[in-house]
Formats: sequence, structure tokens, C-alpha cells
Amino acid sequence: MNEHTPIIESGQMGRVAYARIAPNEDLVYGVEKLCLASGFKNAFVRGALGSLVDGCMQRMDGRQEQIKGPAVEIVSLAGEVRSVQDGSMRASLSGVVADPQGTVSGGVFVAGLNPICMTLEVTLEEWLPDNDPPQP
Amino acid sequence: MNAPQDVPYARARTLVHPGPFNPIRIQTRTSQRAKHFRLLLQPGQSLFDGLVQPLKEMKIESASTTILGGFFDRLSYCTAPPDPTHQAIIAYTSPIESGKTCFIFGNATIGKTATDNPLVHCHAAFRTEDNVIQGGHIVTQTSIVGVRPITVLVTSLDDFELRVAFDPETNIPLIQPHDISLYGDDRE
Repeated sequence: MNEHTPIIESGQMGRVAYARIAPNEDLVYGVEKLCLASGFKNAFVRGALGSLVDGCMQRMDGRQEQIKGPAVEIVSLAGEVRSVQDGSMRASLSGVVADPQGTVSGGVFVAGLNPICMTLEVTLEEWLPDNDPPQP
Repeated sequence: MNAPQDVPYARARTLVHPGPFNPIRIQTRTSQRAKHFRLLLQPGQSLFDGLVQPLKEMKIESASTTILGGFFDRLSYCTAPPDPTHQAIIAYTSPIESGKTCFIFGNATIGKTATDNPLVHCHAAFRTEDNVIQGGHIVTQTSIVGVRPITVLVTSLDDFELRVAFDPETNIPLIQPHDISLYGDDRE
């Protein structure tokens, strides 16, 4: 962990955004772009469901595990979006998916490799750290 | 079963949907503040009624919910394989009965149908009566809560509404956020 990263960050929840994200958009980048669209610097995923063309999870050894669809149903999604010091925004998302036979897999979603199949319904809640300057 | 594949490099596939491409890729609405509620699904109720009725009494029509673990006396679900008719990319299967089910975790979106009736869209992971862990789209009207209440965290969406509208690109009806209209005539 970076020495400047606090172990505990106090703050409060702010606005809430709901989105329907369209087919072939990426799950991870789509959630980051939803933050851009909503003006959120930091956010938590409050709920999500939808489907992926194929799912792709990061393995412990750095390789990737692909779950073939379509469709791979997203049955749970947890995660957050954080503003990074280099000026970018990064979503870290993990969850559980079910393949076309209903068989479940889980893990960390790889950015760029989880295209939405039919729709993604996602609710984000803005996180406002106490030590952050107020947004314009 | 489609076993997950260990791959050194995967490439995302872009599927071609039957309808015209919509240049608006993120349809979104924002509320200034969310309200949260802890709801208990009552034994013997359907998942649909257990969510919709108490929220209706609170005048909540649009919400995002997290359903925590518990037991169902029966649970029905669908999976989403390719549509053999090619009218859409996928089509839900007929309902599959899971029997007495351990519900592991799920999310449900509460909204309205095109004719203003309540609608619940729920995906979940669960352990079937045959002790198999499965996941999919839950048929909420025929899934019956077991003997103990099940906790749900509700995030209400107050400044806009969620309503089903036909999506020409995918050729199916989908839940989408809309501005609230006093006259109910702002459907996109």
C-alpha cells in the first residue's frame, strides 16, 4: 500500500446515479464513464445486474479466465471507482457471473474484456471523502 | 456446461444486434441523495410481492436493491442462451425449478412496466435443492420465501423513475431511467 494511502478514510455518501449501459460497451470502462457523466470523483457500486457477451476474470497467476457466452449473466457486482493522482479514474469491480447453462464463476473483472451483451443496470453512490476539496 | 477457459490473452467480441445502433451508450439519471431502507421479505410471500408491496406503501416505485442470503421454499430461474429465432441475441429459457433453495446473494431493480405496473428484474446466485450452485434471472412471481425473513437493502431512486421501454437496438424491452412527468407522457 502507498504510504500516503490512509487506512481509514472518513466521508459521506453523496448523490446516486442509475444507468442503463448499452451493448458492446465494456463493463469496467462503462462504470468509469458513468462516473464521468455524473461528475463523481469517487463512488461505490450499490447494485448491478445485466449480461456480458463473454466474461473475463483475472486469475491469481496473472492469466485470464474467460467464461463463454452469450450471454453471461451478471448475478452480483461489487466495487468502487476512485480518482487516481495521475488524473485518471479507475473502477475495481468483482462479482459473480452465470454462463448460459447457469454455472457460476467469480472473480475480478478485467478492464476492456467484459463487453455488455444486452444491458447493464447499475446504481452508483457517490463517495465524498472529508479531506477532499468540494467539487465545483 | 461451458467450463471457464484459461487463456493467455482474451479479446472482447463485438456482437451485431438486430436493430439500429443507438449512439447514446449510457442512459443515466442522478438523484441528489439516496434514501436507504432495510426491508424483510416475509415467509410465504413471493419475492415479487415481498419487494413491491412494502415499497409501494412507502411510495417508492424505483429502487435498486441488494438481497442478502436466506432460504426459499421454491425458486424459479431462467438462463440466457442464444435466441434460436435470431430476433434478439439471446432469449431467456423457460423457467427452471430449483426446489427448496439456499439464496446466496442477489440484486433486483424495481421499476414500472410500460403500463405503469410494478416490475422487478432480479439476478442471483443460489444453491439448488440438488446442492448445485447456479445463477441466473429469477422469476420473482413464482419464487416463494421460506420460513425465515430475508433481509434486503433498498436504495430508493427519488428524482427519476425506472420504466420498461422497447429498445430497438436489442429488439427487446429493457428497464431505462426516465425523468418523472406529472402527466406520464415523457416516454423516450
